[in-house]
Amino acid sequence: MRAATKLSGIELPDWRGEVVRLGSLWEERPVVLVFIRHFG
Amino acid sequence: MRDRIGEIRSRGAELAIVGNGAQHFAAAFREDQKLDCPILIDTELCAYRAAGLRRGRVELLSPRLPRNALRALRAGYRQTSVQGDPWQLGGVFVIRPGGELAYRYVSREAGDHPPVDTILEALAEGAPAVAEEAPRGRLEAWLGKGLSALVDPTIVLSFDRTGFRIHSLAFRPEDLDVDLAGRRCLVTGANSGIGFETALALADLGADVVLLCRSAERGEEAARRIREQTGSRAVAVETLDVSSLASVRAAAARLAGAPVDVLVHNAGVLPSERVETPDGLELTWATHVVGPFLLTKLLLPALERSPGARVIWVSSGGMYTRRLNLDDPNWAWRAYDGVVAYAETKRAQVVLAELWARKLARSGVLVNAMHPGWADTPSVRSSISGFYRLTRAILRTPAEGADTVVWLAASEAARAHSGRFFFDREPRRTHLLPFTRESERDRKALWRLCERAAAEAQSAPAR
Repeated sequence: MRAATKLSGIELPDWRGEVVRLGSLWEERPVVLVFIRHFG
Repeated sequence: MRDRIGEIRSRGAELAIVGNGAQHFAAAFREDQKLDCPILIDTELCAYRAAGLRRGRVELLSPRLPRNALRALRAGYRQTSVQGDPWQLGGVFVIRPGGELAYRYVSREAGDHPPVDTILEALAEGAPAVAEEAPRGRLEAWLGKGLSALVDPTIVLSFDRTGFRIHSLAFRPEDLDVDLAGRRCLVTGANSGIGFETALALADLGADVVLLCRSAERGEEAARRIREQTGSRAVAVETLDVSSLASVRAAAARLAGAPVDVLVHNAGVLPSERVETPDGLELTWATHVVGPFLLTKLLLPALERSPGARVIWVSSGGMYTRRLNLDDPNWAWRAYDGVVAYAETKRAQVVLAELWARKLARSGVLVNAMHPGWADTPSVRSSISGFYRLTRAILRTPAEGADTVVWLAASEAARAHSGRFFFDREPRRTHLLPFTRESERDRKALWRLCERAAAEAQSAPAR
């Protein structure tokens, strides 16, 4: 639970440059949040 | 994972990807992989850190790397050019509405991916929360101890980020799996660098944290960031200039009303020229020695009201190069050298920690000192820019520098220690060179000097 609380408020740009608050990703449905090493 | 998106969505969930690197890398990645899910970019790695994901060269140099690479190739993965931080490792989380963590996988090395079926199981209706923490194996701990014995004598490979990665192999993650709810932690110099990361970590563990900062504005900005990243509301700011004894007295009067569980003396300076405080003290001496001494003394009743309270002095590895020098602590007649002043006062901090520990032995208050290694902090960048230019590629992050402070403040394991000097969670020798040893008479003289400096400043007219 602590990880989700920590992540919830963090805002990151998406591939189009639009800012997304991480917590919004799981507001309405579960999310599989995959952290990759790097693009490529 | 890309090929199983349909199965994820059929279970009512969505896939979202966080990577690091430039925006055009993310766009190209989306195009190459034919993905239509959210793809986010974390260039500063703040979400990676918040998620507790690993980063470092040592993790990548694993004996399992060839096996993992082969497994990834068989699964269809093809490494193209690296677009982002090559040392950052990944992980997978399944988070349900409301923030319940249903699944967690922290990659231990490159190519370490969870089986997709375990992720799908966590998405099943009514599935219990399944959280997998990457365990710290015995092999890793032995490897850490063995490599530590090799690199520690080199100093460079011990104090730098490689040293942290190696030492951390022997860390026990459960040491910081604690709940500090109700514990009141005071941190000086908490608006940036190691102080900020210490306050952040303690808040994240549930503590009530008070940031003690010279600038209320910078303190409030730091507090805002901590509240945002941790979700904690118990983050307060108090103005304190630890080099000013009047400021120390005023702050202590405001803070002493409630028990203090943890007091971290982190605030530091490294001026290039001699600066005299309004109390007539040399700035480094005031900030590192007299001010913290007075603050500890004035908060003693509050510390003693908390069972097992802890005082931590953030010293420096530079103290290894100097002995306790009480001949001219204010640099009244020596040609000023800021680096020497810094190292001498950091030596004095280690001695003071030992003296305080001895004095408070019966009260149960634990006092220890530590050094953070070579960390990339705003102070290092501004105060020793030459050193920074030379070492920037190998410096630790401020969070890595703060790790042992947090461990000393929060872990049960640290309860066994008082009067010790720590580096990367291990007690260390305080002398590496024979000429740095002080006599018992000098140690007592340091105590008397601090008492007198604090008392004289109270009675002398303001300059």
